[in-house]
Amino acid sequence: MLQAQVVQYIYSKVYNLSAKEEFINDAKSGKILARKCTKCGYLHLATTYYCQNCGNRGFENVHIEGKGTVATYTIITVAPAGYEKYTPYAWVVLKLDGVDLRISGFMQNIKSPSDLPLGTRAKIAGHDERGLLIEKL
Amino acid sequence: MEKVCVIGAGSTKYGKLQESITDIAVQASAEAIESAGIEPKEIEAGYISNVFGIADKQVHLGPVIMSNLGIPEKPSLSIESACGSGSVSFREAYANVAAGFYDAVLATGVEKVTHTGTEWTTTYFSYCSDFFYEGGAGASFPGLFASMARAYLAEFKATEEDLALVAVKNHDNGLLNPKAHLRKKITVDDVMKSAVVASPLKLYDCCPFSDGASAVIICNEKFAKAHTKNYIEVIGSGRGGSPAALQGREHLTTIPSTNIAAQAAYKMAGLTPKDIDFAEVHDCFTIAELVDTEDLGFFEKGRAVDAVRQGLTKLNGAIPINPSGGLKSKGHPIGATGIGQVVEVFDQLTGKAGERSVKNAQIGLTHNFGATGASCAVHIFKSV
Repeated sequence: MLQAQVVQYIYSKVYNLSAKEEFINDAKSGKILARKCTKCGYLHLATTYYCQNCGNRGFENVHIEGKGTVATYTIITVAPAGYEKYTPYAWVVLKLDGVDLRISGFMQNIKSPSDLPLGTRAKIAGHDERGLLIEKL
Repeated sequence: MEKVCVIGAGSTKYGKLQESITDIAVQASAEAIESAGIEPKEIEAGYISNVFGIADKQVHLGPVIMSNLGIPEKPSLSIESACGSGSVSFREAYANVAAGFYDAVLATGVEKVTHTGTEWTTTYFSYCSDFFYEGGAGASFPGLFASMARAYLAEFKATEEDLALVAVKNHDNGLLNPKAHLRKKITVDDVMKSAVVASPLKLYDCCPFSDGASAVIICNEKFAKAHTKNYIEVIGSGRGGSPAALQGREHLTTIPSTNIAAQAAYKMAGLTPKDIDFAEVHDCFTIAELVDTEDLGFFEKGRAVDAVRQGLTKLNGAIPINPSGGLKSKGHPIGATGIGQVVEVFDQLTGKAGERSVKNAQIGLTHNFGATGASCAVHIFKSV
């Protein structure tokens, strides 16, 4: 490999860029990229490099349907920089259907708790400058 | 292992301070040195915790503080572990004295951020989260704890008024602490009427951003006995971790690292939660104190609410929690907080806590974590 390519390869491994890019690509098609341990089957989010359950380093990609129920959330009124124009918005933890995984992200158009009772059905709806996008089903 | 003692403690007032980050760190360190009755040159190393030195144009604080104390030749370690930085620098100081590397060391924590304003602090503090999933999707720190609060209120049938009781209690304590940031009596009604920051948390559910510095002198027993009669012994020390992102946790109403750190500290001390006379816990938000006191084993899961309603955690209650006023009222200069908790335990156990003294206290516990409890340290102290 050319020196520049080697540097880029090491950079992507050290900074985990490729895994995050893969995760974002999946999110844009409504999926959550998870990694399944080839030894014990334990499921992790894409950015994990060693199995939390058995320490194994072998994984296979699993593209999980990005649907689930709202486990908890907040409605942000005092926002970090870059998010002021979106207030009020929700930051949501979604329990994914059929697997022991939760994923968190940004949800627009939530003004009061009555807009989003716990257990509301929701789906992954993309990824942009606001982060992972979640929408009500 | 050597027996480890705390022989001196100092703290600036917490709040909006005018002096530089270096000035306040050195003031607290000098107060600790004088309180211990030692010469600066007797200090063999410094453990200096800080998170956002960049905000006051000074990082690599260790050597700067040592130079200002007239001991530039002494080694130092500059430590960052988000809001849990102070307890980590205490732990590193403790471990090095316990291992016999040093007879006496300084642990100082400092933060200077209030001049930057709410947007800067809200934004930069969010970098302490697992940013790809949390800060990078619009979550502020109040938002992360608000998410825990919503899960807790739903699971244990508690109310926002219950959360408010924690704030009211800690403000009552802080009123008795001359160094506290928010010295103001408040009511449940005040909390409920304060502006929503991240629902269900309101402004008065949140600790303030504070400036401040705290410092302690840590040494082995031989050094302690040679210098003072007013000292306390460290009898338990534990650390633990949790998945950095909330989404990685099976339960959103508990912080795993607290339990791991506490069990290690209890085991080392040969004690159980029932033996603790009072505790300084990490109440960055009202919900956190409820979760902490359950994870530390003072109350069963979901029962901290009953304890607060019954006043068990008040200054004159069965297990006083945050006699200093806690992060909520005393303030939260994030790099200093973990050391500030040790300062409070030192003052309580050596009879220097004045009006807010916990009656007949002999065993005190400190609990301090980083971010949403991704990292945590628990220490247990006893009077001698």
